[in-house]
Amino acid sequence: MKNEDLAVRIRQARELLAPAINGCESPQIETMVRSADMELHLALWNLGETVSLRPELDYAEKTGH
Amino acid sequence: MTSAPLSSLGRAARESLFWNEATETMPRARLDALHLHRLKSLVRYAYDYSPFYRKKWDATGLKPQDIRTLEDFKRKVPITDKSEFIQLQQESPPYGPTLALPQEFIVHHCETSGTTGLPLGIPYSMIDTVRYGESWVYGWWGLGIRPADTLYFAFGWGNFAGFWSAYWGARRLGCRVISGGGLDTKGHIQAIQRLKPTVLISTPTFALRMAAVAAEMGVDLAKSSIKFTYHGGEPGPAALPAMRAEIERAWGAKAGDILGIAEVDALAPGCPNGDGVHLNEMNVFAWSMDPNTGAEVADGEIGENIVTSYAQTAQPLLNYRTHDLVKRRSSCSCGRSWTKFEGAVLGRTDFMVTLRGTNVYQTAVENILAEVPGVSMHYELILTREGDNDVMTVRFEPDKAIVDKRWLWEEAGKEAAQRILQALHVRLNLVPVEPASLPRYELKTKRIFDQRPKEFRRALDR
Repeated sequence: MKNEDLAVRIRQARELLAPAINGCESPQIETMVRSADMELHLALWNLGETVSLRPELDYAEKTGH
Repeated sequence: MTSAPLSSLGRAARESLFWNEATETMPRARLDALHLHRLKSLVRYAYDYSPFYRKKWDATGLKPQDIRTLEDFKRKVPITDKSEFIQLQQESPPYGPTLALPQEFIVHHCETSGTTGLPLGIPYSMIDTVRYGESWVYGWWGLGIRPADTLYFAFGWGNFAGFWSAYWGARRLGCRVISGGGLDTKGHIQAIQRLKPTVLISTPTFALRMAAVAAEMGVDLAKSSIKFTYHGGEPGPAALPAMRAEIERAWGAKAGDILGIAEVDALAPGCPNGDGVHLNEMNVFAWSMDPNTGAEVADGEIGENIVTSYAQTAQPLLNYRTHDLVKRRSSCSCGRSWTKFEGAVLGRTDFMVTLRGTNVYQTAVENILAEVPGVSMHYELILTREGDNDVMTVRFEPDKAIVDKRWLWEEAGKEAAQRILQALHVRLNLVPVEPASLPRYELKTKRIFDQRPKEFRRALDR
């Protein structure tokens, strides 16, 4: 798979995860899903994509917490 | 059921010569565009979240939107130095206004060795630790280390960032980790014989120390399971070809190393060619500065490495002085486009030597000597090489107060050695000499005399 296509897939995966993070009631599961999102963020970062500096800030901007 | 062997990576990834070819060979124009985007984000982040940077930049009138180009970043963002951070942490421990994140985001604490005076506290967020660990893996992969390897960590952990970050990297690579923990040298050798790791992780001088002790035990480490040795914490194979040859001969293994700075990142993994290190440009932006004028120096010229880390969001470091003198090169036959530092670190702007893995600064020793009763201001620091270790001897003239009391000269030396051991964690030899026997200088006093064989000195110290 080309890196450009890989990046698209990873962005889609993050989009899918976002509601799971925001809707979580279990600290264990939320921590795991956040961790998965952090890894996806780092994959984009290391593909040379222009993503934010810290994924946690993305949540804060989107959800206000 | 498939008969294919199980593997932690797919075939294409396993056969890659790079940990991440896409970025390690990225064209310079694209790398620079990425740096600009990331630096703008970092400047905004530091201004919004770090009380230290907001105050510092407000005092100069700098606003995040003023940074539009890489030149703007280099010229307009004020230079920072470790001393500023230490002072603020001392005033308000543990991190003071240098911390940019709430405490609950901090997952790990490390410290610098404190050899310049006081230790610097280093907080890490989760993502900081992951990014920091990645830096090691680029170098390991380039050397040939793979997930099937077993890394043996030959050191006590403490708060030393260097090898904690190597552990974070090992977790990423997915290899087996064996901790030597608190074993003595003989214990490490026996553990290697028993557990059969394939990679030794240690300081380079300790690798040589282990080889010497093994020889006394009648053990030939060149016949051990170790295939690679990888080092950090002090000048190693990339800077000192003689040391590389000695390690590789003693261990019968391929040696590599990394240039790391505890509070910044394991910022420059070794080049597979063995003659330098490549800046991890996914984690760090760097440029070279003339330490006397503050002007940027061109590639190919020697200058001080000024770094900005993307891997330190808990305590951001922007345009941070490393005091390391480097010579940058923009291309390398290994195929990496990441900036290369030929010979790793060529010298220090503030003279520093590494004794048994501990960085010792001339100024730190001088500051202690100045406080010891009976030790005059006339002294010399002599560097020699004994076996596999650098040794520093302080030759001092007794103070006027005890010139006539020869029996107190040795006592003054012992007191100084004790204070140095307590503050800097290194043992120095203190030798009293006859009053007025050391040379006097009209201008700058020459204190350091480096008598080590030149192959054991950094290039600029030879």
